Amino acid sequence: MKLGKRWLPAHVLVWTYAVLLVVPLYYFLASAFKSNDEIFDRPFAPPASLGLGNFRTAFDSADLGLAVVNSGLVTVFSLALTLLLAIPAAFALARSTGRVAGVIEKVFSLGFLIPTFAALFPTFLLAAATGLFHTRTFMVLFLPATALPLSVVILVQFMRTVPAEMEEAARLDGASTFAVLRHIYAPMCLPGIATVLLLNFLTFWNEYLYSLVIIGPDPAQRTVQVALPTLKSITGTDYGVLTAGTVLTLVPVWVVYTVLQKRMQRALVSGAVKM
Amino acid sequence: MTTLTTTPDGTAARRPVPPTAPAARRSPRQGGTVLAVPALVWYLVFMVGPMIAIFVIAALRWPGMLQPVSFAGFGNVRTVLDDPVFWDAVANTAVQLAVALPVMVVCAYMLGYYVAQRPPGHRVIRYLLFIPGLISTPAKAMVFYAALSPDGLVNGALQGVGLGSLTDAWLASPSTALACLIALDVWSGIGFTAVLFAARLGSVPGELGEAAQLDGAGHWRTMWTVHFPVIRDYVGVVTMLQFLWTLFGSAQHVLLLTQGGPGTSSTTLSFLVYQKAFIAADLGYSQTVGVFLFLTGLVGLLAIRRVFRQTY
Repeated sequence: MKLGKRWLPAHVLVWTYAVLLVVPLYYFLASAFKSNDEIFDRPFAPPASLGLGNFRTAFDSADLGLAVVNSGLVTVFSLALTLLLAIPAAFALARSTGRVAGVIEKVFSLGFLIPTFAALFPTFLLAAATGLFHTRTFMVLFLPATALPLSVVILVQFMRTVPAEMEEAARLDGASTFAVLRHIYAPMCLPGIATVLLLNFLTFWNEYLYSLVIIGPDPAQRTVQVALPTLKSITGTDYGVLTAGTVLTLVPVWVVYTVLQKRMQRALVSGAVKM
Repeated sequence: MTTLTTTPDGTAARRPVPPTAPAARRSPRQGGTVLAVPALVWYLVFMVGPMIAIFVIAALRWPGMLQPVSFAGFGNVRTVLDDPVFWDAVANTAVQLAVALPVMVVCAYMLGYYVAQRPPGHRVIRYLLFIPGLISTPAKAMVFYAALSPDGLVNGALQGVGLGSLTDAWLASPSTALACLIALDVWSGIGFTAVLFAARLGSVPGELGEAAQLDGAGHWRTMWTVHFPVIRDYVGVVTMLQFLWTLFGSAQHVLLLTQGGPGTSSTTLSFLVYQKAFIAADLGYSQTVGVFLFLTGLVGLLAIRRVFRQTY
C-alpha cells in the first residue's frame, strides 16, 4: 500500500508518541549521572560527567547489590520450577485425547481470567500458614503457579505440532514415556520453551506487589523491585540516586531485550494473545 | 468455582489408565495424563484456593490480623455500601476505565495499523513501542514520580517554554492526582497494545486492503471499515486484557505514587482492597471490596465480549 502525503499527520503523531516514550527515559538516564541541583536547573542537558557516584550511593543506601542477587535467585528458581511443572503437564495434555485431559486444559485456560492481584490477601494468609511468610522461598513456590496457565497453554500448542509418527517410532524402539518427553518432545519444542522462559523472566523479574507484601522490607530477602521505591524516602529523594537505582534494575531486562529482540517481541505478543 | 468441577473428574482421571494397556498398541500417544497432575495441584493450591478464600473472608468480621474472627454474613456488604470512601473509589475507578480504556484501545489500534503498513522507520518504532512493556511497575512509577515532582521534568519543560504559570505539584494536587495515574496507564498501555494490534494486522491478507484502495477507499476508510471488522474479535480480547489490567493493576501505581490521596481523590477500588487489608487491617471490608471487584471484572468481561462479538 502506498503511503501518500495525507499520512503526514499520522507520521507526526506517531513520532510524537515515540518521543514521549523516549524523553522520560533519556531524562532518567541523564539524571542518573547528575546531582539534584543539575537536574532541577537543566533537566534536558546531558550530564557533565559520567561519574558513577549516584550508582554507588544507590547500591549502598538501599542494599541494591543484595537485592539484585535476591531478584536473580527468585527469578531463576521460579523459572526452573515453572518449566519442571509446565513441560510434563503440556506433554500430557497435548498427547491425551481423553475427556479428563480436556477438562484439565479448560481449567488451565480459565486461569487467565483469574486476576492474580485480587487474591493478594488470601495468598498472604497462605504464606503465614505455611510458615514461609517473609521468605523468598514462598515467592519461588508461588510465582510458578501464576505463570502456569499461560505457560501450559503455550507449550501445549507447540507440543501438538510434534508428529505422532516420531513418537510411534521411538516407542517401537522401546522408549518409555519419559524418554519420549526428553528426547523427542522437549528438543522439538525448544522455541516454545524459549517463549515461556522469556515471558516469565519478564514477569518474575518485574513482580512487585506480591514481593512487597510477602517478602517484605527485610533487606536480606527483598527483591530489587521492592528495594527501588525505598530510594525515594531513604535519600529524601535525591533524584540522581533514585534514577541511578532505577536504571540499574532495567539493565538486565534491557540487555535481554536488545539481544533477543525478535524472540522477545514474539514471546510478549503470544503472551498477551492468551485468551 | 473451578475446583468443584475438577475434583470429581480428578478422581476419574485414573479410570482411563488401565484400559490403555491393550489400547497402547493402537495409539502410542496414550498414557501419561498423570504428568499434568503436579501442575494442576500447584495451580489449584496457590491460585484457585486463595481466589475462593476471598469469598469466605468477605463473610467474616475480622477487624485485624490478631483479632477474634466472627461470622458477619452480609454485614460487611452493608458497612462497605454505607462508606463514602467506597463510593469515591467506585467513581474514581469508573472515571479511570471510562477515560483510559477507549483512549488506549483507539490510539493503539490506529498506531498498530500505522506500524503494520511498514512506513519508513517502522522497525525503530516497533522497538520503542515495546519499552513500556519491559519496564517494571516500580520503575514506571519512579519515572513518573521524577517527571511530575514539583522540580521535575514536566514543570521544567513548562518553565522552559514560558508557561511557568501552569506548573503544579501534579501528584499532590486533588484535581490532577487521578489524571496523572490515568496518564501513566495510557502512556505505557498504548505502545504495548499497538504492537499486539500490529502483529495481528500483519496476518490479515494484504489483498484485502489493496482491493479496498482500488475501489477508492482512503487509508482512513480502509482502517475502520475493512481491517477493523476483520480483527474485531481480537480487539475484544485486547480490550478485555486492558480492562483487567486497569481494573486490578491500578493498586500498584496508586500505592507508589499517591497513596490514594490527597484525601480520597485517587483511591481506586483495587487500592482500597490493598489499603483496607494491609494498612487499615479491616480484613472483612477489604475482601468484600475484593469480591465486588471480582464481580465487576466478570461483568465487564462479559459485556466487552458481547460488544465485540463477531457480527458477520
